Amino acid sequence: MRRSLLFVLMLLVLAVSALVAQDLTLPMKSGSVKFAVIGDTGTGDKHQLAVAKQLAATRAKFPFEFVIMVGDNIYGGNSARDYDRKFAIPYKPLLDANIKFYAALGNHDDPSERYYKPFNMSGERYYTFKPADGVRFFALDSNYMDEMQLKWLDEQLATSGSEWKIAFFHHPPYSSGETHGSNETLRTQLEPRFVKAGVNVVLTGHEHFYERIKPQKGIAYFITGSSAKLREGNITQTELTAKGFDSGYTFMVVEIVGNDLYYQAITDTGKIVDSGRVQRVGKVEPTPNRTAQPVVATGGSDKKTPSKPVK
Amino acid sequence: MNVIRLLVVAGVACALSSAPAAAQTAAPKPPAPKISTATKEKAAEQNANPDALVLADFQKRIDAYMAIHKDAAKDAPPRKETNNPAEIKAAQDALGAKIRAARATAKAGDIMTPEIQNKFRRVMYPVVTSPAPQGTAGLEVKKDIKEELKENSEERKEEGGKPVVLKVNATYPNDTPLPTTPPQVLMNLPKLPEQLEYRIIDKNLIIRDVEANIIVDFVPNAIQ
Repeated sequence: MRRSLLFVLMLLVLAVSALVAQDLTLPMKSGSVKFAVIGDTGTGDKHQLAVAKQLAATRAKFPFEFVIMVGDNIYGGNSARDYDRKFAIPYKPLLDANIKFYAALGNHDDPSERYYKPFNMSGERYYTFKPADGVRFFALDSNYMDEMQLKWLDEQLATSGSEWKIAFFHHPPYSSGETHGSNETLRTQLEPRFVKAGVNVVLTGHEHFYERIKPQKGIAYFITGSSAKLREGNITQTELTAKGFDSGYTFMVVEIVGNDLYYQAITDTGKIVDSGRVQRVGKVEPTPNRTAQPVVATGGSDKKTPSKPVK
Repeated sequence: MNVIRLLVVAGVACALSSAPAAAQTAAPKPPAPKISTATKEKAAEQNANPDALVLADFQKRIDAYMAIHKDAAKDAPPRKETNNPAEIKAAQDALGAKIRAARATAKAGDIMTPEIQNKFRRVMYPVVTSPAPQGTAGLEVKKDIKEELKENSEERKEEGGKPVVLKVNATYPNDTPLPTTPPQVLMNLPKLPEQLEYRIIDKNLIIRDVEANIIVDFVPNAIQ
């Protein structure tokens, strides 16, 4: 009898410790900048709803103030019903709580989405916003990176001070995805600008999985394209991956405290699949191989999930 | 005599065996300039570069289209931020209908005339098709552009959206993903006003009115 009790007790302890291990571990400091990241969301199906539900549940523990959308916000048509079914209804609890969403355009998005007020794009295909002192976001339209947009980006980056500079757009410049892979034509245009101006973090989607890329030229790259769609087993083994997860639907939560940016990737069932920290080094002069505000290697376990070998 | 015959046979055999290989590796030839007689005469008269006149003509035709677009936009519901997505769609559809009505007789080639089409093919060729020296950045970029364009076509088929109909005034299908246009291609094409954009559908280049979601005109086989 005693042995049985002891066994049950041990099981309980193990279960509790497992739960604790999966709980949010961000600093959760008051006054920090807290946000979530979702990508490739606009399906209106049960997977989007499951992620949306988990996102809302996570906010009860981690009160993020806004959500970054990295594109493919509305798949298929663009009728009022589509906007409702694929955005307004799934995220209703967050919208009701006055959580702001900031969208970038994906290849499945009609550019007219920029006029949809809840996307906070101010009628522009690319825009910048500053949610708090010391942090600036740059939303880009990676579908159409023309000279006008690049000029705008150069100007915005040049006038941005010594803030955290976070760019977000749809197509990943680095990716281990079998379906798409790195978008090198885009990278050729953006990376030198990011390095020169000291962009710290780049958030993208398009690939239907989660991947944290090993810092490239001092910049941390994340792919969060599985907030409603999933390509299981699509991550191939490359030297780029710091952490990959392609067997479940995910979103990210992020917290910026001073020179540290903490992140966690969470599944629709609430399991934490990646966590760590991006540390920003103080302002330094840029060199050809070093950004103006380099990040050091991201923390967190750099362990790969089982993935397909390179073909 | 026999020796000569043997040499001839060997020569023919060599030529036949090497021909398919050469055909497989050779890149398509660059498109030859096709400038109309009228443009040539005008260029001679003005002591101007015929290609510059072709591009000026393109600009003039785009300006004429934009005058129609702006006129139509005056009477259409305004494009402004709204919480009601039905208003966005209504504004887009209304503008599209007004432009279609104003260009009811428009046909393929009205803006992209044969000589403008030829100029665009010539502009696209070095960016996408022409061979680049091995080991150069140019070669890699071209490879990436080709892969991206191929991927765009495959994705459109995979996603099951409606096919894009290459027809002036046709609506770009709402459920079909918009292919990305590689920045390197955009940089080499004449600039468009912000209401218009270039998109590549398979090997064809279309000019799309972003606000009205209609195909303004196109260049068939822009990529050789």
